[in-house]
Order: sequence, then C-alpha cells, then structure tokens
Amino acid sequence: MATKTELRRYVGTLASILWNYGASFPVPTLDAYPEGDLGFSISAELPGAAVPRAAVLELTEVWSPEGRGQYRRIEYAYEFIEHPLGRRRAFHRHDPDYFAREFGVVVHEHCEERIGVPTCSHYFGLPIDGYEAIRRFLSAWGRPTPFGCAALRCMSEAA
Amino acid sequence: MQGKPFLSPAEVARELGISASTVLRLIHAGDLPAIAISARIYRVPAASFDLFKAGGVRQPEIAPLGGVKPRPRLGRDEALPAAPRRPLARAR
Repeated sequence: MATKTELRRYVGTLASILWNYGASFPVPTLDAYPEGDLGFSISAELPGAAVPRAAVLELTEVWSPEGRGQYRRIEYAYEFIEHPLGRRRAFHRHDPDYFAREFGVVVHEHCEERIGVPTCSHYFGLPIDGYEAIRRFLSAWGRPTPFGCAALRCMSEAA
Repeated sequence: MQGKPFLSPAEVARELGISASTVLRLIHAGDLPAIAISARIYRVPAASFDLFKAGGVRQPEIAPLGGVKPRPRLGRDEALPAAPRRPLARAR
C-alpha cells in the first residue's frame, strides 16, 4: 500500500537508479487512468552494444485505490529484452484471477535464452517490486552466462 | 579501459588513484552506482563511472504527475497458459 506521494517518490527513485546506470528515457510521470487507478511506465535503453538494438528495460505498474488515500499495486510487468545477446526475462502480474484459479498463484515469469524461442510460456515465480526487478535484470546484463531458465518451474507442466 | 562496458572495483581504483577498499566504500554508500554479481563481487558500468567522475550521479526526485492516460493492458500480447489437466473423479 502507498499514498500518491509515496508512489511519486517510488517512480522518481526507480528513474534515478536507471539513469545512474546510464539508461536513456524521458522523465517518467505518475499517470491517472480513467477508472481511478494510477500507474507509470518506464522504457529505458541501456548503454553498450546497440546491435541489433540496445538492451531495453521496461517497468510498468498499475495501482488501484483502496480508500483513505491509499493505493495497492494490482498489476505489473517488468521486462528485460537484451537484444545484443538475443534473450528476454520478465516478471509479470496480470490476469490475477485466472492465474489464482488455475495455478494458485497471481504472478508468473518469462524466460527466453533465445528471444522468441521459449521452452515454456509461463514460469512460476514470486512477487517482486521495481527495485528487485532492476537488481535482477542488471545483475544479468551483459554477462555471457545464461539466465538459467531451465531451473525455473514451468506452469504448463505443473500437476 | 576504452570501450569496456563494465569495470571492476580494482580498475576503478586504478583510474581514480584510490584504493579498492575506498571504491567498495563508495559503492556501499551508494555514491558510485555498481551492480552486485554476488554478495562480494561488483562491477561498475562504464556509463556509471563516467557519471561519477563528472559529478553527475543523480539523486532521487519526486516524479511529476502526468495527465489522464489510457490504462495499459498488461499481458495483452501473451496467451494465458492452459491449466494442467486434472484427473476426472471416478464415477461411483
């Protein structure tokens, strides 16, 4: 739970962290959505090799009002598309009712050692926030070692 | 050093003419942005090092309020995974 002011501080802090790693993106804003929710979206290009494209790190969150000026995060999508190494990692929370009903969890992950060639469409994961997403993405950034998708648990194989 | 995307604390120390332990202190204090590879191993992005040398490391600011925008539709590009088949209950 967070107030609007706390959310603005959170977004500003995420932005400063990324800028300090040399990422390029416009100043993010805390936006209002017609239904009364709040949210933000940051799409940052990381420095370094830009062939075929620069690595991209995206953070999107949606927060819903809970009363008394408080908001609860209801959806997120943290994406890391490392074009120079041709791979993708992501942490998602969306369609929580479906995932809760079918798999007993509300979040999932994506992991592609080769972009577009996933060995599993959705993996089990644990909830994280934007800080943790940045930490995990950047710790893998530019390293030749694989993400380690094979060690994750695939949802479609769950029994 | 030219063109290297990441520097080790030892390389930063050599560049700045300070000790590696001082570099680690700067990292732990949050003054020099670095990436933790493990509990004890750090690497410093060249872009972060350039910002640090130029005194341009940014402090957090409060994000401005934007206008009313369409709500992002997260997950719209992905098919939801099929739930695993559960064995049918045996009829009595």
